[in-house]
Parts: sequence; structure tokens; C-alpha cells
Amino acid sequence: MKKLLSITIFLVMATMAYAQQPDISPERKRAIDSLAMEKVKDLSRYISIIGSKDTPFSEANRVIDRAMELFSDGAQMGVSSLNTKEVKYYGVRKYFERLMALNYDQVTIEWFNIHYISDLVRQPDGKYVGVITIYQKFTGINDDGMKYVDITKKDITVYVERKETQIGGRIIGFWDVLLGDIRVTETRPAN
Amino acid sequence: MKKLIFGFIICIISFASQGQVVTNYLGDESYFYAQTKQINQFFRRFNAEENLQGERLYKGDRHYRDPENRKSYIKMLFDIESSKIENNLKNEFIDEVTDKNEPDYLDFYGGEWFAEVTAKFRFNGKTETAVIFLKLEHENLGMKWVINKVYFKPFSELFFTDSVTNKFIHPMSHELDFMNLIKVFEDKGQVEYYFDKDYHPDFKTIFLYEIKKGGLAFETIQNVKFHFFQIENWYFEISEFNRSSKNSGWLISALTKIPEDQKELLLKYIYYEK
Repeated sequence: MKKLLSITIFLVMATMAYAQQPDISPERKRAIDSLAMEKVKDLSRYISIIGSKDTPFSEANRVIDRAMELFSDGAQMGVSSLNTKEVKYYGVRKYFERLMALNYDQVTIEWFNIHYISDLVRQPDGKYVGVITIYQKFTGINDDGMKYVDITKKDITVYVERKETQIGGRIIGFWDVLLGDIRVTETRPAN
Repeated sequence: MKKLIFGFIICIISFASQGQVVTNYLGDESYFYAQTKQINQFFRRFNAEENLQGERLYKGDRHYRDPENRKSYIKMLFDIESSKIENNLKNEFIDEVTDKNEPDYLDFYGGEWFAEVTAKFRFNGKTETAVIFLKLEHENLGMKWVINKVYFKPFSELFFTDSVTNKFIHPMSHELDFMNLIKVFEDKGQVEYYFDKDYHPDFKTIFLYEIKKGGLAFETIQNVKFHFFQIENWYFEISEFNRSSKNSGWLISALTKIPEDQKELLLKYIYYEK
């Protein structure tokens, strides 16, 4: 319901301020940022469900399908650890499947409150692109008490596109947000 | 006094971060607040175009490009754990870019800054390192990164490796239908010395050729840094520092005062051009 309301408000705002201008006003940017953050929060929620050992296999697969809907085609995860700066590449679905198959008896994925949202830059194809940075703490525990903890910085590509739809004979402009490649860097915890 | 202001700013950042915690607090987040998390944030902090919480400031906002804030921010944008950059030089740079009458700002769209990416490629059955330089280019109403130059040691080792040579096609060769060309092309190691004096090997084209023929295959990214030539008479480099410190993320790792007419030389050095 909350989500529906925010989409409706956004649609109204977009209709009111509709104009063919290349630059995005600060007010519009803030509205787009909120929408993009909603998608990132959805992703965070899905990742927690997929990674949880309490989630049945079939449910996890269903959630992976939902999570994939957040992404543009061909999106990849580029992962590096503290030991090596070299980037390992995974398709997003593969990354989720690996997360689901992790061999821990208990998995906790928590999110730091901090996030950072970049400016939006227009691409040659007319879409805008930005990056949202978030931080995540992963804890995996085995029955024998062995614990693995890492903190990762996730830089998430956000594509923003101006679209139009017809509602009741009226053309309504709106901004569509899709997630793209994600760079995952293991980061050092605070001392 | 300057140290005191810097410490004060760090404290403010710490308090600001704690003030924002609402749920699932996972520990001290002030490190992440202080960290320069994106290149975008480096630009904004350098120009004082965001507040301490990382929220964008726009023209007309009270603290937009505030000179005093800029001084504090830019101080934080240096790798303070390195002694490579002397304090005097750092202070001179900060004073100059924050000069009240003639301040210098960084402009994402302004050119004169570029990326240097070190990447691994598979070549002739071995993993080799290539250095790829990218710059921003306008297209239609948008922007894109384009590959501007490539340095690949196995290619550069093929050309002009001898400092002294006595290689030429003698000036009466035309009378013999250039029959001596056979010797030129048999001399594979030094064949480039028979070319005109303006000849420079185009590594970009060789690189592309090898990629297209399957001789070169991308493996992974190893390192990324950025070179800035936007500030008049100055050059600086930024690199990413992944460490448990508030002084982390994208920071200035090299700074040089350099007259405009010498920047071309420095560029050639960065591009591995002789």
C-alpha cells in the first residue's frame, strides 16, 4: 500500500513537472533518489530472504525471480576481497544462486544505515545513470561455532529513464528506475 | 590551529553519523560517513557541494561552495597517512584553489581529467598486465567513457628498443627497384627504424587487432586511479584507499605544482610515451 502510494505521488509529481528538458531539477532529483532507494531497499530485503537458511528452496527461487525484475538485462556483480583487488564477475542470477547455496547453518545479512547517492549523468542514449553506495555485513555461522564475517561496500548502478504511459486518454510522464551492475568490495571494519 | 579545525570536522562527521541511526545499527558508521565513497563525492567535497551528511547542496543553498568548508573538506581529501606530499605544498594548493577572489572548482564535464585502469589480459598463453586510459566524451546530449590510449608492455617491447642504430634504405635504392627491401623485412627486430621519423606505433590499433583475432582476452581489473589536470599549474592523482580509517576511500595520492607548458611532458610520462 505504502509502495503504491509512493508510486502514485511520484506519477503525479512527474506529470505536474513534465517538460522536455535535459537537466533534472534538484526537486526532481530528490524524488528520483527516493524511488531508486526504494529499489535498493527491495534488493536488500530480497538478498536477506535468499541468504536466510529459514527460506525454503522454492520460496528462495521465487524471490530470486522477483529480485531479477529490479535489474536491467545483463547486469553483473563484480566482487573483490581484502586479499585481492582483482574483480571476479558473476551474473546477478548466479550471484543470488551462490548466496542461496552457501554452506552455513546460519546466515545473517544486515545493512548499515548509511548510503550515498551520486548525481545523475545523462548517457548518449538519453537515459540517466547514477550510483548508490551502501554497506552490508554478512555473518555465516556453522553448527560447530565457526563464524565468517565480512563487511562489503556495494556500489549499485541505477538507470533512470523518462517514460510515458496513457491513463484514461491522458499521457502521463514518469521516471522508471532499474538497477544495473553492482561492484562489491570487501571493506575493512571500523576499529 | 588547522589540525584543530580538521579534528573538529572529523568529530562533527562522527556525531552526524550517530545522529542518523534509526534501526539495525551495526557499529561505528562514522568511518563510512567520513570515507570518500565515490569519485562523485570527491568532486562534491572538493567543491563543497554537499553537506556533512553527504546531501547535495545546490546553487542558492546557504553553504554551497562555502570557502571555509572547502578548506576543511579538501584537507580531508589527501591521503594523510602518506608523507609523499609535503605539507607546505598541500597548503599552497589548498590556499590557491580556495582563493576568495579566484577559486578553482573541479568540473565533471570539464575534461582534463582521465582514468588509468590496470587490467589483466590473457596473451600468448600467459597473463599480462595492460594499462588502459579512459576519458569522458560528449555524445548527443550525454556523456560516455571512451578508451583513449592503451599501454601493453609486450607491444612496446617490440618497438624502438635500441638507442643507437644505423639502419636505413640507402638513397640510391630506387635505381635497383628497391631490391634491398628483402633485407629490411628480414630485419624483424629493427624493421621500425626503416620507417619515417614521424612514425609512432599505434598500440591502440594493435591491441584492437589482437582482441578481434582472439590473441588477447580480458581477465580482470586490478587497479583504478584518476589523473587531474583541470587546476591551472597543478596536477594531482587520486587513488582508492580501502582501510580502517576515516581518511579512506578516494583520496589525493600525488600532487605536483607544474607550469601549464610542462603538462604535456607529464602526460607523456603517464601515458608511457617516450
